[in-house]
Amino acid sequence: MTYRSLASVIAFAAVIAASMLAQIPAAVQAQSPATPAKTASATRAWTPPLLPDGKPDLQGVWTNNTVTDLERPKALAGKEFYTEAELKDLQNQERQRLYVTETEGQPPANHSGVEGAGADDVHYDFSQFGLDRAQAKLAWSRRTSIIVGPEGTIPPLTPDARKRLAEIRAKAKGHEFDGPEMLPLGARCIARVNVVPLLPSAYNSNLQIVQSAGYVAIETEEIHDVRVIPTDGRSHIPGNIRQWYGDPVGHWEGNTLVVDTTNFTEMSPFRGAQNLHVIERFTRVDQDTILYQFTVEDPGMWTKAWSGELPITRINGQIYEYACHEANYGLADTLRGARVAETDAAKNSAK
Amino acid sequence: MMGWIAVICVLSPAAAPSVAQVSPYRVPRTADGKPNLSGIWQALNTADWDLEGHAAAAGPVTSLGAVFAKPPGLGVVEGDEIPYLPAMTTRKKDNQTNWTKLDPEVKCYLPGVPRATYLPYPFQIVQSQNNVLISYEYAGAVRVINMGAPTKAPADSWMGWSNGHWEGETLVVDVTSQLEDTWFDRSGNFHSDALHVVERYTPRTPDIIDYEATIEDPNVFSRPWKISMPLYRRVEKNARLLEFKCPEFAEELLYGPLRKKD
Repeated sequence: MTYRSLASVIAFAAVIAASMLAQIPAAVQAQSPATPAKTASATRAWTPPLLPDGKPDLQGVWTNNTVTDLERPKALAGKEFYTEAELKDLQNQERQRLYVTETEGQPPANHSGVEGAGADDVHYDFSQFGLDRAQAKLAWSRRTSIIVGPEGTIPPLTPDARKRLAEIRAKAKGHEFDGPEMLPLGARCIARVNVVPLLPSAYNSNLQIVQSAGYVAIETEEIHDVRVIPTDGRSHIPGNIRQWYGDPVGHWEGNTLVVDTTNFTEMSPFRGAQNLHVIERFTRVDQDTILYQFTVEDPGMWTKAWSGELPITRINGQIYEYACHEANYGLADTLRGARVAETDAAKNSAK
Repeated sequence: MMGWIAVICVLSPAAAPSVAQVSPYRVPRTADGKPNLSGIWQALNTADWDLEGHAAAAGPVTSLGAVFAKPPGLGVVEGDEIPYLPAMTTRKKDNQTNWTKLDPEVKCYLPGVPRATYLPYPFQIVQSQNNVLISYEYAGAVRVINMGAPTKAPADSWMGWSNGHWEGETLVVDVTSQLEDTWFDRSGNFHSDALHVVERYTPRTPDIIDYEATIEDPNVFSRPWKISMPLYRRVEKNARLLEFKCPEFAEELLYGPLRKKD
């Protein structure tokens, strides 16, 4: 496999992850308040079941699988919400897209969205593995982006961050497959970008919440990462101890679990940030929905904090073991393939 | 009057409690009335080095000298010896001789049950009415014990499938459907995919749980056998699990040979 094919496969996977296409509506439609004020009143309207210790019950198996992009597409600039009619259109489009994928075997070439992709590039047809987003329950929202607000985009990078990321990219150019450390953290099964904040994944956007007095444990299915969040308002661990997912400390504000996470490693899995601070809010708004809100800040990375919101919907099923590292043939094969490509290139140039 | 008191004293049970026969301690209850095992716990022994009794020995890495030598331990196996079938003893010896190449712990693979319990890292029990989640510091391993009606495993897995129930003060966990790829320790003790483990967690004091695991695998052992050990509560203020996401630390070992040569 050539570098270009590998790159296009990875890019395609990223496109799938960012796919806007909609699907068969789930039984539950998540709340999509039109304004922040309405959010507040919507979350106060319903009283969640309480656990024996008096705290709201967030337990269960859930998904935040969605078609909503993190950032608002340019074509929708200024439009924070779809109408109900537009949402139904989206759902029909997604249903149609899945139908075409399943019957024709792969997405039509001109919809692949991969820059420079050609007819003989490999396309992942996730649907044949049951991993197409639309084959799992979707948590619908009328939002046009997960990021809230009039812009709906990640704020600009600081000049320092721009420079730093450019330097990293420049250094990596031509060395993308030299060794395991050059590949994304997710491909190395070290950490994923969808744990803190709790963003949807390309597939397996599943999680399980188990609570005991003083703790809320959230297990995300991918890599089987668990965050055990103390809710006794304790202080964070010492500042020199840095972790991939930071150190979470929670407390209850009425019926909302508020989680403050600091102590992220400088090699944060989240978009290259080096000093991340994430605040999350979990509020159960009806029988089958948790409203998840988050704010991300890193003054060295972005010019201002940014916030997002998405529904988490209940699913009927269990979390499966995702033994990422134990079966990480992908990483070994990627490196092996690169070595073969180098040997082939050397042979061809020697001719 | 004194006569009555004497009779009462004679009739009262006066068994001096031995270590093995303390009357069951009654641990505080959760809000839903079950023994509360929530907290951060850790085994304090050398079971992960070798379940059977063992003397100290040199470690596998010369440059680490005494730092990574094998510490001694009395062993945690009831009857001291693991009852391998005669046909299986060769494989155990081979495993033991080649353990640094074969032990899945070296590669940071998920440990399975019961090894997850006595790895030298803490774990946290988050106990809820319908589920008991155990988060292990090692490799971010986790399992969720179903406390409702028992369910069947959807597939085999590294950490197996756990169904639990209460017997008085004891949490009993039935673990099935583990892959054959895990070991019991760093000494090559192994099993097949027919492994069946039954664990018992019995609180002895507010900060000690007596842990037992009965291990059954007719493909490898001539009879079921049992391990037992205390688990100690981590009582430091604000004790919490930290990350030991070890795939990163095993990366050079696993993928170094595939690195581009300069």
